[in-house]
Amino acid sequence: MTDRSLEGVSLVASSRLPLREIAVGASALAALYFLPSYLSDYWLRVLISVAALVVASLSVSVLFAQLGMVSLAQYGLLGVGGWFALRMSHGTGAPFELALLTGGAAAALVGLVVGLPALRMRGLYLAIITLMMAGAIQVLISAFGFPDGGAGILGKSTGARVMMARPFLAQSDPAYFRYAVVIAAICYLLVLAHLRGRPGRAWAMIRRGEVCALAGGVHIVAYKVWAFALAGFLAGIAGGLLAGGVGQLDGSAFPASQSIMLFALTIVGGAYSWFGPIIAGLMLRAFPALLNEFHVDGNIATMVFGVGLLHALMTAPQGIAGQLADAFRSVSKLVKGNGGTTA
Amino acid sequence: MIEIDDLTVLFGGVRGLSALTARLPEPITGLVGPNGAGKTTLINVLSGFIRPARGSVSVDGKDLKGIPVHKRAAFGIRRTFQNEQVVENLSAADNVAAVLDNVPTDGQPRRALIARALDFVGLGAKANVLGRNLNAYERRMVEIARSTVGSPRLIMMDEPGAGLAQDESEHLRQVIRNVHRHCGAQVLLVDHDVDLISATCAATLVLDFGSSIAYGPTPDVLADPKVRTAYLGVLEEGA
Amino acid sequence: MPDFTPFLVSGLALAATYVLSAVGIVVLYRASGVVNFAQGAVGALAAFISWSIVERGGPESLSWLAGVTVATLVSLAYGRLIAPRLVSTDPITRAVATLSFALILLGFMGYLWGEGPRRLRLPTDTMSFELLGVRVTLTRAIAFGLGVSVTAIVMLFLAHSRMGLQMRALASNRELSAMLGVRVFRIDGWAWVISGVLAGVSGVLLADLQRLSGQTLTFAVIPAIAAAVIGRFASLPATVAGALAIGVCEALLTPVPVIGPFRSATPFIFAVGAMLWMQRKPVFVYR
Repeated sequence: MTDRSLEGVSLVASSRLPLREIAVGASALAALYFLPSYLSDYWLRVLISVAALVVASLSVSVLFAQLGMVSLAQYGLLGVGGWFALRMSHGTGAPFELALLTGGAAAALVGLVVGLPALRMRGLYLAIITLMMAGAIQVLISAFGFPDGGAGILGKSTGARVMMARPFLAQSDPAYFRYAVVIAAICYLLVLAHLRGRPGRAWAMIRRGEVCALAGGVHIVAYKVWAFALAGFLAGIAGGLLAGGVGQLDGSAFPASQSIMLFALTIVGGAYSWFGPIIAGLMLRAFPALLNEFHVDGNIATMVFGVGLLHALMTAPQGIAGQLADAFRSVSKLVKGNGGTTA
Repeated sequence: MIEIDDLTVLFGGVRGLSALTARLPEPITGLVGPNGAGKTTLINVLSGFIRPARGSVSVDGKDLKGIPVHKRAAFGIRRTFQNEQVVENLSAADNVAAVLDNVPTDGQPRRALIARALDFVGLGAKANVLGRNLNAYERRMVEIARSTVGSPRLIMMDEPGAGLAQDESEHLRQVIRNVHRHCGAQVLLVDHDVDLISATCAATLVLDFGSSIAYGPTPDVLADPKVRTAYLGVLEEGA
Repeated sequence: MPDFTPFLVSGLALAATYVLSAVGIVVLYRASGVVNFAQGAVGALAAFISWSIVERGGPESLSWLAGVTVATLVSLAYGRLIAPRLVSTDPITRAVATLSFALILLGFMGYLWGEGPRRLRLPTDTMSFELLGVRVTLTRAIAFGLGVSVTAIVMLFLAHSRMGLQMRALASNRELSAMLGVRVFRIDGWAWVISGVLAGVSGVLLADLQRLSGQTLTFAVIPAIAAAVIGRFASLPATVAGALAIGVCEALLTPVPVIGPFRSATPFIFAVGAMLWMQRKPVFVYR
């Protein structure tokens, strides 16, 4: 996808500090700090999962918005990250943070090893290979399951299943929720740091055109690899977060269709906006939970999401977040009145 | 110094370049010829986008054959494009930084280098303006700024003068004339604007059908009857 | 040393379904530039329709025909109603759109029929004959026969018929073809029809040979796409060879200890291998 589709939306700001964004972010974090006290246990757990999925969606959006790369394997890589995080935690008793990082690193590595052949080729081949990767991960995970306290390579327990040890600072659900939100915020900052630095500039050059990038000295494959590794890392972190939140992961919960849905919802939520992954996480987890409450079949959600993606592709590449941003802009123009100055 | 030896490029049956041989030592050299003569093809060979079927090309004594495309910028081969390649989402400064990331800086502070490049082309005040908010001429200047950072050896400009207003054209000539003094690079200027070539280039190479039909000091070349016939047209009587 | 012959036989039948699906994908891609990720889902729909008709007491021998018809209509509907709106976008967008189509179908089938275990039974399942000491059901024989004959028909069609010529023109250069008077829209439509028929037939066969499950059948597009990758989305002979290799390999791995349960990763290995092979000589295309 070329820069055409990024008209009017920019993830790469100029070098001035985005004070407005930081203020918004800080107040949002503050609000989230107080949120747990108003939620039921069930919804608190749902939101913990949402936080993990936001990071997973962020991984999809970085690849798509920065390089037009379609990865249909990110949820599978989330599973890989979760597996390694669980294995690390159960097997060595390592602190949660270390397990999280292990999950991230493992997912990044797996993603790279598998995706590398396709990174040199047309983007279509990456979509194909990641779809197959998701399928292969599905087969492996449903065969091996997730570590739950046992010994041996697979770490399967013969007795009772052991829950993943939560971080020292965040044992209770409300505390873990805040912890997850902080990790998500750190992941956002990690992405921001990339965008402001060398990788972001190189990715922008690649997006502009292969010719532009090559003439400017950018090693295209190397930077695509970097982006893919980052995305894998984020997905792995999300897996660790999810494992810590739920306590254990289910081997049957990682079908290839979940990776497709994650991709679809990231586009629908808005791949080119910071807010998009948040919308995607909510839709992926909170929407089905909501349907559950009203006893509506989960398959309806799948259909709705499919329609949503189709619609987004045909009409609004910026997704819901982009349309919200547009609406916000038109409203603020109205409010400022004619002749008002823009900030 | 550009040395071209027996360079041949084949597009299927068409000879884009046909046993081209030339030595281009001047700080600013013009490259002219009718459409399809092979000017852009030659630049693309130098950039590394096209592999020649035969022959070789060297810059400052180094054969370019072994240098992979993405490493040529670091070696010192830069260019500006007919269809400008400025990144819209990045500021002018970031556009220059994007190239500076990949070329030698000799330990100098990056911000200073970027500022110097932008000042050179007259965009010092617009360093933080996003690419999409720059007009066409400013974008061309950004491309030129990009090509002057990090010890370039050769800057190839592909029709930078197309569609410019009078004052922009003047400014462009100034910039081109000062490039060598500013960063030490040789300039290879491709353009159809004969006045631009005359005003800036000490020597000019004329191509037709993929080979050289004339090379020498610009006024002599432009007066050459062979060049007139192939490219400029016959001078009207009494004009 | 396990006896591989029965697995070879079942592998050939399985491979034939992959061949049908893969041919559909390549023909559609060559005519319209769309990689149809929904090929499997459309096939699954055909299988479910067939199954429903039999469940309700309809004639077994015609149920599959209804299924294939529905598959064709659905495929044509997408090709005529949705695909044209995306014709100006890049190949990835168009491919991802078919993915969303697959999601919609997947949700639809899950909603109507759920994921409970079922088998699709065709009347030809009970008829069989002996070959090389192995019982070959008529279904398997038909599958293999269809795989071979359909491929031959399609290749002859593309090479010698007028519409085949027009499809090849479209694949080569869409805009130029339009200027030359090729009825792009119409030819496109026919490509979607061919794709739908092939999807339906392979879906019904696969549901019979393996299992009638929305998820499994939808993702059976993966081996088909792997075969298309091997054929570089251009060469039908290579695609067919790839599909045969994948199907037979997958089946032959069934009795092998340790690796057996993971044989469904076979298409993946083949596709990666094909991609690595394609890159052995670095090529930069300057546009």
